[in-house]
Amino acid sequence: MGAECKYEVSQAAYVKLALHALKHPAAAVNGLLVGRLLDGADAAAVVSVADAVPLCHHPHHLPLLPTLELALTLVEDHFAAQGLAVVGYYHANARSGDAELPLVAKRVGDHIFRSFPRAAVLLLDNKKLEEAVKGKSREPVVQLYTRDSSKSWRQAGSDGSSQLTLKEPSTNMVLADHVTTKKWQQVVDFDDHFDDISKDWLNPGLLA
Amino acid sequence: MATAADDEARLLRLEEQAEHGGGGAWEYLCLARRLRARRPEPVLRLGLALLNDSSARSRLGSEQWTLYEQVAVAAMDCQRVDVAKDCIGVLSKQFPGSMRVGRLEALLFEAKGEWADAERAYALILENNPFDQIVHKRKIAIAKAQGDMALAVEYLNKYLELYKQAAFCYEELILAQPTVPLYHLAYAEVLYTMGGLENLQTARKYYASTIQLTGGKNTRALFGVCLCSAAINQLTKGRNKEEESSELQNLAAEALLKEYKQRAPSKEALVTSLLKNMKLS
Repeated sequence: MGAECKYEVSQAAYVKLALHALKHPAAAVNGLLVGRLLDGADAAAVVSVADAVPLCHHPHHLPLLPTLELALTLVEDHFAAQGLAVVGYYHANARSGDAELPLVAKRVGDHIFRSFPRAAVLLLDNKKLEEAVKGKSREPVVQLYTRDSSKSWRQAGSDGSSQLTLKEPSTNMVLADHVTTKKWQQVVDFDDHFDDISKDWLNPGLLA
Repeated sequence: MATAADDEARLLRLEEQAEHGGGGAWEYLCLARRLRARRPEPVLRLGLALLNDSSARSRLGSEQWTLYEQVAVAAMDCQRVDVAKDCIGVLSKQFPGSMRVGRLEALLFEAKGEWADAERAYALILENNPFDQIVHKRKIAIAKAQGDMALAVEYLNKYLELYKQAAFCYEELILAQPTVPLYHLAYAEVLYTMGGLENLQTARKYYASTIQLTGGKNTRALFGVCLCSAAINQLTKGRNKEEESSELQNLAAEALLKEYKQRAPSKEALVTSLLKNMKLS
């Protein structure tokens, strides 16, 4: 086989998902990742994660299907025009020390896997997020999970050759910047949208 | 009225203030408790400082016990097993035989990796309170931590039972208060998630009643009707297409498009396309 698939997360995607989690520190949040597979002739495949679309923050909506199904269709439809597809899912647990990948993350991951076999699931590390926001770390605040041949979601190893990279090295600093200007207050997710449809889940101008 | 975002912003502000010696520690701790925010380090620091100040602590009166509990949980999060043990000790003296304290004790076993003791403690709690969701999840976590996947799956199936129980609870709520649209909506969403023809048909009924109760204004319910109709058509392959349900789906779709045209025109095209596809499936 070839080398392992690598994942490159753009600043926009990363900052959006982190801001989403920061907006709701007492709740679990989740969202979709959109991107594309980069054509690398000899090198390992690279999935470029271009953007993130926040989904839910209401505790009882997270494990339920209606919002998820609607969002998947709308997001796929919208981004298809830009040649982007749904390539993964992100999740932040409610409890700070909780590093367990919840069932809903695996289920959604499985669903996305069916149309995009290199699907990625990113689990936010709340402790790392706290460090990054204080400007104390360059490390990604997300843990990558990919599906192995036994159909389970495995943590990507933390060896030197990292499978997950941040496209722009100053991403954490940009995130810290947005936090000081309280940008997280403006994040809109699908829960917000369905409560008030004039709110845009694309978050245009959030990171402008 | 404060929104969730306001609350969370206030929490962080209070935390900063208290941590820098600006007072307001008790206000912060109460808010953190109310929001069920998990901020173990500041809670441990500020909570412990309060508890160790005997005059401040006695001023709290009966509220000090909730603080002991809050600090115990934060301590376990920070791996300060010693502090947790002390707090739980105080609580069990004050409230002998309490299930709430029992749950803390079980959590402490877990924090120390004493799985057998944790399991036994949780089993005892479940005997008295079989619907304790938190305890169910802890049991699954323990089984997984010990690598016992078969057991984890067994517990997981018991946990999925909770969806059925959630449905049952909503039924009770609706019986008790039939005009609260939120219950109808929540019930419909659980049923839709559980799936299967009967559940979908019932879900559609409850999305419909939500629409009625909210004067056609609830976006989730309007979409819900369309989702159910599409899913039902898929399952029945279009057999027995009832006139009434087609009518309902059309009305819901119409209402949605009208709303989007007015209030979210940038999304109108996407939603139009979505609804069209649902009707075809």
